[in-house]
Amino acid sequence: MPLTSGTRSVAVPYQLEINAILTRRETGHPLPQQHVSRYALVTPHAHQLILETFNDAAKRSVYSLQEYFALAGKAVGFIFVKPFYTADLFQQMDQIGVGSLGIVLLTGFFTGMVLALQSSVQLQALGQTALIGKLIAGSMVRELGPVLAGLMVAGRVGSGIAAQLGSMRVTEQIDALNTLGTDPIKKLVTPRVLASLIMLPVLTIINDFVGILGGNIIAKFYLGLPSSLYWRTVFEQVLSGGFTLRYIPNDFIQGLVKPFVFGGIISTVACYHGLKTSGGTEGVGIATTRTVVTASILILVVDYFLTQVLLALFTP
Amino acid sequence: MTDEEDRRKIKDERRHPSEKDETAMPRRAHDSGRVRKAIRTELEEVAEAGADTQAESGPKPGRKPQNTVISLENISLSFEEQILDNISFKAYEGETIVVVGESGTGKSTILKLLLRLLVPDNGRVAIDGEDITHLTFDDALKVRQKMGMVFQGAALFDSMTVYENVAYPLREHTTLNEDEIEARVREKLQFVDLEPDRVMDQMPSELSGGMKKRVGIARGLANNPEIMLYDEPTSGLDPLTTATITYLILKLQRELGVTSIVVSHDIRSAFRMASKIALLANKRIEFFGTPEEMTGSEDSYIREFLGGF
Repeated sequence: MPLTSGTRSVAVPYQLEINAILTRRETGHPLPQQHVSRYALVTPHAHQLILETFNDAAKRSVYSLQEYFALAGKAVGFIFVKPFYTADLFQQMDQIGVGSLGIVLLTGFFTGMVLALQSSVQLQALGQTALIGKLIAGSMVRELGPVLAGLMVAGRVGSGIAAQLGSMRVTEQIDALNTLGTDPIKKLVTPRVLASLIMLPVLTIINDFVGILGGNIIAKFYLGLPSSLYWRTVFEQVLSGGFTLRYIPNDFIQGLVKPFVFGGIISTVACYHGLKTSGGTEGVGIATTRTVVTASILILVVDYFLTQVLLALFTP
Repeated sequence: MTDEEDRRKIKDERRHPSEKDETAMPRRAHDSGRVRKAIRTELEEVAEAGADTQAESGPKPGRKPQNTVISLENISLSFEEQILDNISFKAYEGETIVVVGESGTGKSTILKLLLRLLVPDNGRVAIDGEDITHLTFDDALKVRQKMGMVFQGAALFDSMTVYENVAYPLREHTTLNEDEIEARVREKLQFVDLEPDRVMDQMPSELSGGMKKRVGIARGLANNPEIMLYDEPTSGLDPLTTATITYLILKLQRELGVTSIVVSHDIRSAFRMASKIALLANKRIEFFGTPEEMTGSEDSYIREFLGGF
């Protein structure tokens, strides 16, 4: 759906490229007439100029948003449409999932340890060191596991996807795909999105487990807490949030809905910025940076709202 | 020095008897100071090429009028500013039309319009008589299969071997089995004078610029398209490789009879391969005609554009 048809719209340089893949040009609607000489026609007052600038900026961002959602929608829609690029999907799952295992293990482990270390100081003051398992399990499973895995994958995988698609765009490989009769969204974006949707929850589970394990080590060697007690409190915490459908702990749902959403955010943002790349190798760098920044911020912001919704839905 | 071997081989082929019939002028067999001679040979050929292409595709008395394969009618297109203004031309079957013009005049945009990667604001683009301006995305993908496109930087897929690159359109759009695909890939690689066994397993990053272009042409040809589109096929290549690529495009036209649109600013090779030349300037086609008509033109811009040529 075109944002504006017939009326004026902002001139976006990459429109030329991205439109070939995205909505407007494909539906055959003529692009709205541009208005280059607008400033030359009238001599507006300063406040008018400022308004115009804001107006243009607002339109541009709304237009980008529209493009982004069009891309994301198409990518997800294509999951269910033949032909399926299964080989590409497995390759991406390997790159996104298995490839990120190392950094996820490391960050999870050290986060769990540092969490245990910091809270042990407080808990010792209160004489409640036995609660450390509860504290670590609660924060890792519900919050830190998904967010940390998301941020790490955004840095590692998001930048990779953006750089790869960006250089493919710059070296005309995206056009080549189009020319050879392949939809680049279907061939490149869909496998990456699907792979991220699948692999991020898996990485999160691993992250959670390793984090709790890190806490276990600190509890045992620093606080002298027996492992059996530690793990018992961990399970108590996980099961204390109540159940959905009788058997699924609510904490698990909270902890797995988030990475699923984050996986979608990372892959679609990366693909969007990658495909939108213009301006040669410099453009690839810009696309990569934008991806990591946008995806990281989105993860943290969406995490907040998602937590509110999930807490409202799944409070025992 | 594998590239040199290739070039020598191609040069030999160019001296093949069948070629000699077409090009009357004898060529020097031995070369010292090869590059300079290559350029000179090419210049000689350019002079002949006019006569050649004229004989082949010019209107011949008694011959049936040829089919229109590509037609652009009153195309206008603007982004931030107008790029094309009311452009029209036609390409008949088997013709090679070279679009020349200064940089940034929208030459490549014409190719994108033909591929329907862009849709014009006004006007009509027709391939084989079918209007492609209002097709859906999926139908556009089908139309694109009739065309082979050779990109400026070859645009080979980095992540795939040469073999996979050339096989790509076959895997996507045909039901050929693996043996048939391999046979076709070998055939196409041989057509562009590459040794299949040597290059098939290489990655694009291991190839020289000229070889990349040739693999690009092989990939464009894989699906036996009726139309070939070239975006600056000779830019960034040394004079010898330029001659090789130009020769390949000519070979394609002669042996397979494909209709070609070549976007180029290399006026020398343009004259060699063109049936007709379209000069794009000031958003319009300022000249459309045979190379001979162009050299004979008195128009000051055309004279200036041709420069010392």
